[in-house]
Amino acid sequence: MSYAEPSRKRRWLAGLAALVVAALAAVELFFPASPVGEIVAIIDANYVRSVLRLTVPIAFAALGGIFAEKSGVINIGLEGLLIISAFTSIAVAGVISGGTPSQFQLWIGFWVAVLASVLFALLFAVICIEFKADQIIAGLAVWLIALGLAPFASKVIWGQVNSPPVATLNNFDLLVVEANPPVVMMLISVPAAWYALNRTSFGRWIEASGENPKALDTVGVDVRKVRYAGVLLSGFFSGLGGAGLALGRVGQFIGGGATMVNGRGWIGITAYLFGNYNPLGAFGASFLFASLDALQIRLQQLGYNIPSELIGIIPYVTVVVVLAFVGHTRIPAAAGDHYESGEE
Amino acid sequence: MSTAVHLEGITKRFPGVVANDEVDLEVEEGSVHALLGENGAGKTTLMNVLYGLYQPEGGTVHLHGEPREFDTPRDAIDAGIGMIHQHFMLVDTLTTAENIVLGHEPRKWFGLAMDREQAERDVRDLSERYGFDVDPTARVEDVSVGVQQRVEILKALYGGADVLILDEPTAVLTPQEVEDLFEVFEELAAEDKTIIFITHKLGEAMEAADDITVLRDGKNVGTVDADGTSREELAELMVGREVLLEADKDPVEMGDVGLEVSNLRVTDNRGVEQVSGVNISAREGEVFGIAGVDGNGQSELVEAITGLTTPDEGSVAFEGRDVTDLSRRERIDAGLAYVPEDRQERGLVMEFDLVENGLLGSQHTSEFADGGRIDWGHTRNHAEDIIEEYDVRPPNADAEAESLSGGNQQKFVVGREFARDPEVVVASHPTRGVDVGSIEFIHERILDLRRAGKTILLVSSKLDEVQQLSDRLGVMHEGEIVDVVDPERVTEEELGLLMAGEIPEDAPSIADAPGGER
Repeated sequence: MSYAEPSRKRRWLAGLAALVVAALAAVELFFPASPVGEIVAIIDANYVRSVLRLTVPIAFAALGGIFAEKSGVINIGLEGLLIISAFTSIAVAGVISGGTPSQFQLWIGFWVAVLASVLFALLFAVICIEFKADQIIAGLAVWLIALGLAPFASKVIWGQVNSPPVATLNNFDLLVVEANPPVVMMLISVPAAWYALNRTSFGRWIEASGENPKALDTVGVDVRKVRYAGVLLSGFFSGLGGAGLALGRVGQFIGGGATMVNGRGWIGITAYLFGNYNPLGAFGASFLFASLDALQIRLQQLGYNIPSELIGIIPYVTVVVVLAFVGHTRIPAAAGDHYESGEE
Repeated sequence: MSTAVHLEGITKRFPGVVANDEVDLEVEEGSVHALLGENGAGKTTLMNVLYGLYQPEGGTVHLHGEPREFDTPRDAIDAGIGMIHQHFMLVDTLTTAENIVLGHEPRKWFGLAMDREQAERDVRDLSERYGFDVDPTARVEDVSVGVQQRVEILKALYGGADVLILDEPTAVLTPQEVEDLFEVFEELAAEDKTIIFITHKLGEAMEAADDITVLRDGKNVGTVDADGTSREELAELMVGREVLLEADKDPVEMGDVGLEVSNLRVTDNRGVEQVSGVNISAREGEVFGIAGVDGNGQSELVEAITGLTTPDEGSVAFEGRDVTDLSRRERIDAGLAYVPEDRQERGLVMEFDLVENGLLGSQHTSEFADGGRIDWGHTRNHAEDIIEEYDVRPPNADAEAESLSGGNQQKFVVGREFARDPEVVVASHPTRGVDVGSIEFIHERILDLRRAGKTILLVSSKLDEVQQLSDRLGVMHEGEIVDVVDPERVTEEELGLLMAGEIPEDAPSIADAPGGER
């Protein structure tokens, strides 16, 4: 009974959002010269394309976070994994080519970066699963280490925290559209992740591992292995996200401040909470947050000066509102708990 | 028939205790076998040895005549043993079918996807074969505890089990669900499955089992045929001495009205009315029993009387004094003792030792704390007195409450409350989870209070308990007292109807006057 209502609320919210979009479209159609009309006019195919590119790191971080947390290991180090892979992709592509990498060398950088992120996640998994460290503290450590290590390595290689511009992956023709490779990977990964979680045995195991690991253990499935798989997948997806950000959109590594990742891993966490651990919902939320970001950039180009910091807090405010008022983001019952087989 | 399980000379030690001392157990194939014993008699330990959770220091496990060694539950499961624990091993967010096939999911598309249709078909077939009513598409969190238990049984059967071990399977069930479970046992035995269930309830062992093995202090003290034994024999085997199953209730001179509840209405925190106009008038020297299926307003009634919740309407009076607006502490001062239904939640602070727990509720009285400083010496003596009188084990006042078994926790709580020298005693399920010997003891203490002229309100879901101890018995249904009956003349069938909210024609009703006159 308590579960039907929030989902109805969610549907209601989705309906409201659709109505707002329709109203805005109507304004644009009939009053193209009004400020609202002008703003809506920016929303075209190009805008959507740029939003999708901005969605890549957020959505991949969210997918990774879902696998880790549903298996029972809360990975708040996603931001760190994005930083590691963003840096590694540029560094590897830059170093093996001496500065102007070919597409092939960019792809080598891309996959080495994914590997680096997976290895980092493995380290996190060993600390959390074997040594039973507090997952939150270990996750923060992953972020803080990445935040220090990447700019430092950047200085060692290039003498400064930012790399010189390297290159981006070429778009390719997919049927009628010009497709950005990381965006295509994302659009394949989201339904694939949904399918894996909801329609395969592995998905049931992930769910059981995060809800009642003992139930899984007693039917003979190794909870540790399932949790390792969940965390390593979070490394894999974050790797795609970080490398996709660096090589798919920016083309260089920026290590100053919060680095070029700039909180997108954290927004990924809010996105999957917003999406209630459903990859499709998490993707929708990632897309929404990215579109707000892109809108702010466009508005600045149009001369409307909305502080980017204000836009930047929108995901966090939204997630607090969603968690507090819409309710029912169901956190896996055993998330954050260590599991020892044979415990009584 | 052949022997399905044969345990030979099983010895299992834990630091400081011998949990199983050369225990032999033989279970026939296709039979229902009860493992009966008091709390801490070693029943669960023995079954955990069979299930591979514990490695015994001595002895052999034979399964279908073959000596076997199970290093992990996995080995036992592979050998066809399934165990259903008290706490279910289910994933709430998955469907019943997904839980049942967990770990053995049928696959399709070269193993890539789980075949849900196949899983649901399998579960439906299995469920129908044993006459279970389980919807394979329902989520576990949406089905009742009784159905969850069946899902656990189906899970074991799906995994290929032919020997099923159930640890206290009735503890979480309603009386109706218990009946259903015992029917399930019969169905399973008819299909040549072997069932071993752990219980400390005599009646259940006699009703559901073919054979009963009694454990006491880690030893097998006898295996008996369920049809050829009596409750008295079993109780004596369990406790090691003769047990009075029928409490001796001598007539007592009743005094003035000690507890008066008038037109009480209580709404719970979800806004649902749980107590709808209850009137009780219990006299000094009287035990007023409340029977009913759990969840029909008994808890809320007790909370309103003890001051844990505020009624919407009506009043409560102790010894003629209106206490409706008094706080918990003021009610204790007015002579209230309260044995709460959940000892771990409300009766004890689990992290405190028994000295501190013995002080709870009296910490402000001059006996224990003069001028705000607690007299620990006196407090310790008080706790040790309770431990001695109520035979709390281990007899160590410095032990933390959580280190005690449930039955011993309960004895300590009962001892503390009865030691208050109360005028009004509210006892909510005072023997829940307590073994036979201790039940007898607690019943005697309640009757002592009655003899001493105290007013006692006894709430229990155990019918034999309320029937034996009460002078008058009110039956609650949906927040109302349906009828007040004479516990000695009412039959179980009549009580069953009353608990369902119907008034049988010739129920021995008593008007609200003590003494049995209409």
